[in-house]
Amino acid sequence: MDLFFQTLVNGLLVGGIYIAVAAGFTLCFGVLHVIDFAVGEWVMLGAFAVFWLNFFTGVDPLIFLPLIMVLFMVVGYYFQPLLQRVITNQQSNALLMALAFTFGMSILFRGSALTLFGFNQRSLTTFLSGKNFEILGISIPALRFGATVFAVLVTLLFMFLLYKTKLGLAVRAAAERQDVAGLMGIDSSNIARIVYAIYLGLTAMSGTFLGSIFSVHPDMGLRYTLFAFFVVVAGGLGSIQGAILAGIMLGLINSFVAVYVGGQYIFLILFTVLYLILLVAPKGILGKGW
Amino acid sequence: MKSKTKWTIMVLVLLSLSLLLSGCGGPKQSDDGENAEAERDYFKVGVITSLSGASVYGGNVTRRGYDLWAETVNAQGGIEIGDKQYKVEMVYADAASDPATGADAVERMVTTDEVDFLFGPYTSGVTLGVAPILEKYKVPMITGSAESPLIWKQKFKYTFGSIPAVDLTGSAPVSTLVNEVEGGAKTIAVIGVNDAFSKATAEAFKATAEQLGLEVVKYDIVPEGTDFTPLVGAIKELNPDVLAVGGHEQTHMEVIKAAKSLGFMPKAFLMHYGITTPDFINNLGTASEYVFGGAVWTSDLNYTDKLWGSTKEYVEAAEARWGNMPDYTEAASAATGEVYAAALAEIGATPPLSEEEREQLVDALENIKVDTFYGPIDFANEGDWYHNNVGLQPLTIQLQNGEQKIVGPAGVKVADPIYPVPGWEER
Repeated sequence: MDLFFQTLVNGLLVGGIYIAVAAGFTLCFGVLHVIDFAVGEWVMLGAFAVFWLNFFTGVDPLIFLPLIMVLFMVVGYYFQPLLQRVITNQQSNALLMALAFTFGMSILFRGSALTLFGFNQRSLTTFLSGKNFEILGISIPALRFGATVFAVLVTLLFMFLLYKTKLGLAVRAAAERQDVAGLMGIDSSNIARIVYAIYLGLTAMSGTFLGSIFSVHPDMGLRYTLFAFFVVVAGGLGSIQGAILAGIMLGLINSFVAVYVGGQYIFLILFTVLYLILLVAPKGILGKGW
Repeated sequence: MKSKTKWTIMVLVLLSLSLLLSGCGGPKQSDDGENAEAERDYFKVGVITSLSGASVYGGNVTRRGYDLWAETVNAQGGIEIGDKQYKVEMVYADAASDPATGADAVERMVTTDEVDFLFGPYTSGVTLGVAPILEKYKVPMITGSAESPLIWKQKFKYTFGSIPAVDLTGSAPVSTLVNEVEGGAKTIAVIGVNDAFSKATAEAFKATAEQLGLEVVKYDIVPEGTDFTPLVGAIKELNPDVLAVGGHEQTHMEVIKAAKSLGFMPKAFLMHYGITTPDFINNLGTASEYVFGGAVWTSDLNYTDKLWGSTKEYVEAAEARWGNMPDYTEAASAATGEVYAAALAEIGATPPLSEEEREQLVDALENIKVDTFYGPIDFANEGDWYHNNVGLQPLTIQLQNGEQKIVGPAGVKVADPIYPVPGWEER
């Protein structure tokens, strides 16, 4: 019975990691209708930013979280107009253009990181690394727990922002009907920039956790782009509640398959589940997707 | 301008550009085996390895070995053929950790760059992708890495390897852990990543374990990019004496990190390949201590060498050039150049190599035996390890105080194996 609960807890924690990456991604899609293929690369850049900050100052990476958020929010705010030019209505097929553009961005970031930072594997160590605590005989890795807590807090903050503040109202309005929102006095382009800024800030922060749990190197991004896609497809594109549920579900599947079936079947079963979800509920498991 | 006109112009420009480029860079047709280009007084040596992607670290380990050989040989005037010396010029192609990309890159190197011979990839997967291309173009390649027995079973005529396959070397560490330590391991869990090398390593560990009467409590071959925490969690419940992992350096780092975060420490970790790389030791610090691995060479050994003088002098040169101690893959890559130099001297071939001279080179490589700082390099001519260097003795190593020490077999050990290893709290 112990193994069952340990596996359950592990699964929830893996789910937390999925959610951390997917939360910002689904927001970006929900509001901006942009599928950001470079989400993994933003995670990588966040991880490297923290790595270099930690390298030069010796301060614990987790303390840099607010700094990273502000830094990447600024980057996002000024980067978004570039993205916007690609997806304006003057181009046909705005959605595909965004996909192609962000795909190009991801390749550019990966190559630049390899050139600038070199090929060595780096590791981020925080005060939580390697520690675990026991509750009722179940050992919980501290860092993963921290990442899950972070993911949950972040998503809760999002939902609060979106549903309880004036800015959130404006964001939802712009997402629903950009032109009508404009008629109501909402500056859609500024909203778009703010949303993209938030998305980058959050994704970069999750890079800190992921870099510490796994490793930091220029090619780490692809794995997280995959996670983000899994979660968002399963949960419904644009639905944050769906992303949470899907992240937990996928984390649990990952964990239970690894323990009770075998590591080699994890991806097989994960993809089968995704396929079935797409067949049965193409708008995601909550039906609220795009 | 109307958008239709714009499109037409763009298509025409792209078409003409592509025609221009293909016209410039097409393969030159050799009619009678002689190269069409003018005489040159240096050897053009191609290097095909992973300079980006998941295997970028190991790819650069091999590149460093090859580069140090080229620099050293050029500093001494070049390869001696008869009474003249010929320098070497390296040409690089990136396989990007992907066999198909490697195959394309090597085809370009052979047809457009017209290299004389090749240094091979880091990973077995890319080697398997590249070898058929070389069979087609008949250009020899020796790889200073790549330990999967699958390569040699396919009996490629133009591919050779300096490191013995893992099914020859994988048994030594398991055997040490069973027979040569106090207590002796009784149970083992084996995991491997699903690629040509890592899977072969895991299979070698499992086969030896079963042969020696160990109980294999879990055997799992997982895809690349798997999250190891759930897997290690499952293994923790089974509590084996040894956790053996087949993979590359990133995999091993993540397994150790996962184990540490779950508070799991078996009596020993056995990991191959990657614990000998500086990144593993630097990134994990005390967590990397006491891990067991396999090797066929360490810097403690003592051989004489024609190019560097001795093992010790090679190690000093490598450390001075790259800033850290060379491991056995970097060393094998550096030694590989010496085999080419000896073979070329034997057949008296001068650059550029003709097709006939390449055939002679292949024959020479098959029959030659070269003593280097790495040990003797002698490629087998037949059997399951065709064109693999089978002359080296497999060793068991353990990381002690950040250095790799030979702890087995008992007759050649330099230090005693520490088993069971200290737990996480005691470090």
